[in-house]
Amino acid sequence: MSDSLPTATPLRAGAAAASTYLLVPIMLFFALLIVAVLRSESLVTSAGLGSAVIVVTPLVLATYALMALAIAGRGTVDLSIGPLIGFVNVTLIQLFDQQFLDSPVAFVLYALAVGVAYQLVMGLIIVFVRVQPIIVALSGYLALSGVNLVIMQRPGGVAPDWMQSWGLGISVFSPVTLILILATVAWLLFTRTAFYGHLRLMGSDERAAFTSGVRINVVRLGAHAIGGLFAGLAALTYTSLISSGDPTQGTTYTLIAVTALVLGGASLAGGRGGVIGSLLGAVNIYLITYVLATFNFGAVQSFVTDLAYGTILVLSLLLTVVLPHIRGVVRSVSPLLFFAVLSLIALGVIIHATYDYSKPGAEAGAGAGSSGITVLGAEPAAPASDSGSGITVLGSGSSAPAGDAGTGITVLGGPTEPAVPAAPAAPAAAPPPQPAPAFIFEAGSPAPDVEAPVPPSAPRLAGPLAIAGLLILSLLVILRTMVAQAGASRSLAPLVYVVVAAVVLLGVYAAADPSGVGLLGGPAARTEGRG
Amino acid sequence: MSPATATALKWTGLAVAAIVAGVGLIFGFYEGVPAQQVILYTAATFALVAWVWRSYTTRWAEGASAVEASREGAGSRRRAWRAFARNYRWIIAGLVVLLAVFGICSATITGFFSVLNIISLLVLIGLLVFSSFMSRFVVENRSAFIGLTVLVGLFVVGSLKVEGFVYANNIKSMLLFASFLGLACVGQTMVALLGGLDLSIPFVIGAANVGLLYLIGLGVPAWFAVVLIILLGVAIGLLNGFLSFRLQGQALILTLGIGFAVSGLTQILTSLGSRFAGNVFGSVPEWLSNLAAMNGRTFGLEVPPVIVIWLVVAALLIVGMKNTVYGRYLYALGGNRVSAARLSISERGYWTAAYAISGGVSAMTGALLLGWSGGGFIGVGQPYLFMTLAAVVIGGTSLLGGHGGYGFTVIGVLVLQVLTSFLVGIGLDYQWQQFIFGLLILPMVALYARSPHIRTQV
Repeated sequence: MSDSLPTATPLRAGAAAASTYLLVPIMLFFALLIVAVLRSESLVTSAGLGSAVIVVTPLVLATYALMALAIAGRGTVDLSIGPLIGFVNVTLIQLFDQQFLDSPVAFVLYALAVGVAYQLVMGLIIVFVRVQPIIVALSGYLALSGVNLVIMQRPGGVAPDWMQSWGLGISVFSPVTLILILATVAWLLFTRTAFYGHLRLMGSDERAAFTSGVRINVVRLGAHAIGGLFAGLAALTYTSLISSGDPTQGTTYTLIAVTALVLGGASLAGGRGGVIGSLLGAVNIYLITYVLATFNFGAVQSFVTDLAYGTILVLSLLLTVVLPHIRGVVRSVSPLLFFAVLSLIALGVIIHATYDYSKPGAEAGAGAGSSGITVLGAEPAAPASDSGSGITVLGSGSSAPAGDAGTGITVLGGPTEPAVPAAPAAPAAAPPPQPAPAFIFEAGSPAPDVEAPVPPSAPRLAGPLAIAGLLILSLLVILRTMVAQAGASRSLAPLVYVVVAAVVLLGVYAAADPSGVGLLGGPAARTEGRG
Repeated sequence: MSPATATALKWTGLAVAAIVAGVGLIFGFYEGVPAQQVILYTAATFALVAWVWRSYTTRWAEGASAVEASREGAGSRRRAWRAFARNYRWIIAGLVVLLAVFGICSATITGFFSVLNIISLLVLIGLLVFSSFMSRFVVENRSAFIGLTVLVGLFVVGSLKVEGFVYANNIKSMLLFASFLGLACVGQTMVALLGGLDLSIPFVIGAANVGLLYLIGLGVPAWFAVVLIILLGVAIGLLNGFLSFRLQGQALILTLGIGFAVSGLTQILTSLGSRFAGNVFGSVPEWLSNLAAMNGRTFGLEVPPVIVIWLVVAALLIVGMKNTVYGRYLYALGGNRVSAARLSISERGYWTAAYAISGGVSAMTGALLLGWSGGGFIGVGQPYLFMTLAAVVIGGTSLLGGHGGYGFTVIGVLVLQVLTSFLVGIGLDYQWQQFIFGLLILPMVALYARSPHIRTQV
């Protein structure tokens, strides 16, 4: 399209200015990450990351949906996102229960179609009836949260078998992760299109967009369709998270997702927002809950969480007020550089925590028990909990902490004995271990409550996985920054496509295998999963 | 209008009236309603339909023929119908929707198709036609007019359908709940007049509810505790206003954050040293219960004082906003910030003050709700999270600021409350109520709060 050219330059400038707002979420993210790692060792394990991804993905996708709409301007805050997720969830479960959606393809397509259809109706009302978006959203919120309860009075039902394994959260690589990555990459690709330029132009100044010939109605409807896609994906991953139907729980996503959106630096007034910020915002929300859960506040736990949410939200909003004033200083800080430096620091802290804080013996495997699925707001298991999960090494007898350690841990070769502290073989990516068990990068065994037998070599994957995750994240950021900033980098686009194609291929490969989870982890992972 | 058209219209009208009345007659006998009633209703239906048809078709046809005349006398009937359909497309759409809903309900719910329901339908249709016709003349306060019409319609249908709907007790309880909602909406209205939103209201209500009981339990004199709680509410409101002034586009989320923080903090403070976290025990003083309880008395009258309080607050606000400097300046700021600032009206001052009022009144509502329920509960405000917004919007206060007022909100509150009472009366659950509220908001707002097309703003 020829009109993509004129809009390109101001957009670039806008992107650079908007990226300043990423500094706050990035800072918050690493601060929380470091505290989380120091407080509880279980986060940076394969299982810990896996369950974190499972829990956080619906929230991230819901935030994406809000973001796509918030960028469109007119103060669009889709309050109905939570009930919409709940609606898709309960109808999916009910329809599946009556054997309408037996094939996975139909299942997925239904979720996406409902999301898109609802958002399109909303968009049509906004465009043609010309009622303020927030009123439409409000009315959708009330109507849908009522309908959800009509469709399903109380939580119940079961998700399809093929979906059950999604929600185990014992490995970082699961279909849910794939969905998350695909959605993120899809949005990043979308930002390359002229349509995105029109969307942002409309969001920041609708009149200017109209007078410069942008077909604002089409653009607004397009934004709603994209938001609907994300909402459908969010509902899908939410269904896999709870593996059942729940008419009320989805509704709670509204407030959390709006919070995450704002924590990620997006502006509810329109025109500003991005996928990286939203991702960080949602992850920050999860980390806040996680970190708070590691402190034992007893009965007032949820109140403290509320207080922290509120305070952090207000503070982060106030920081965005301050940012323009210190822009002179901030301008020279590129978010990418900032991210890189902070991730180095965080990596340092993680390694430090791994090798210096680890105590031999009983507490070695502590905390690894938290890999059970925790829904937002629920508590992950406290650190230094009693659940024993030993470090299992192929071939050697397992170490296991004293006490009830052996639960659920079977090692190739024999039952575990509470004996020899193991000297685990180092994974390739990690430096040689010290004699004391180095549990963060290695301990990856699932919680005792997961019935699946522990794959013997799964622990060895944890380290590479953690690093690979960081690498992928950095890679994404680098790509994003290069694509957005360099004028001459149009030639980079093929590279992005190659990356996407690779991810898609991996996804197909993963989907082709019936067990579904943890396929990328090597031969040992085959035994994972229930199926 | 050609004579042929007029005759056709007249006979069509009579036929429609006869059909409608006949349907009513048949079903009346079919359902075993007493014969006198059936005949009475049939006659009334016939008369009503015929009259409505006659008085409006002539006007419509005249309107249509005027359009026709301007198009240089093309007298074809088809074009007349097309012009007719174009001029009255919203009414026609409304009629179609109403009939469709009625048809679906009759098809799915057994026993729905009864005489009373048909009469209710006719009343609704009549009101629809009436209000859309009248709203041409009502330009200034169209939302209030539509709200009142809906209120009357609901009341008529409610008294037809629900046994005891118009009994004094029911009206009293409706007013009681309306007064809580109405008080909670005071702040939302004031803030909306400036173009802001306050989502901290439910949290402040909950916090005040728990906090007041806690203070009383500590041995603070009850009246002093109430004053203290209201002052704390004002303080929270001030904080809200002060912080959100620079972030007006994001007032929604900022107040939400403050609300989270306030409710979390209150619960932490009140459950320190208590074994039952989140629960506060204590006894509510007699006079506070009397203020808000259903059997409360105001100076010997059997009216709960909270209703009187609400009426006084409403009257003060409605009169005050029109006649005081503060009120006029508030509207001025909501209407146009720049010109108001040129008149040296302090934006920050009014913004903060509106939020402070909101906080104070919300805290008062929380205290009154304590009197009503007799036990502290942090979640007592939760239903008000979106209900206040809905009432303000249905009443017709623009969320963009500058238009509306508390009088409108009172209408909105009454509509919501009467509708709730009606829905409860006909046995619908909470979820259906929510659903219907959601569906109600859109068309009502669409009738009077459509923003102009972008091309008119360039």
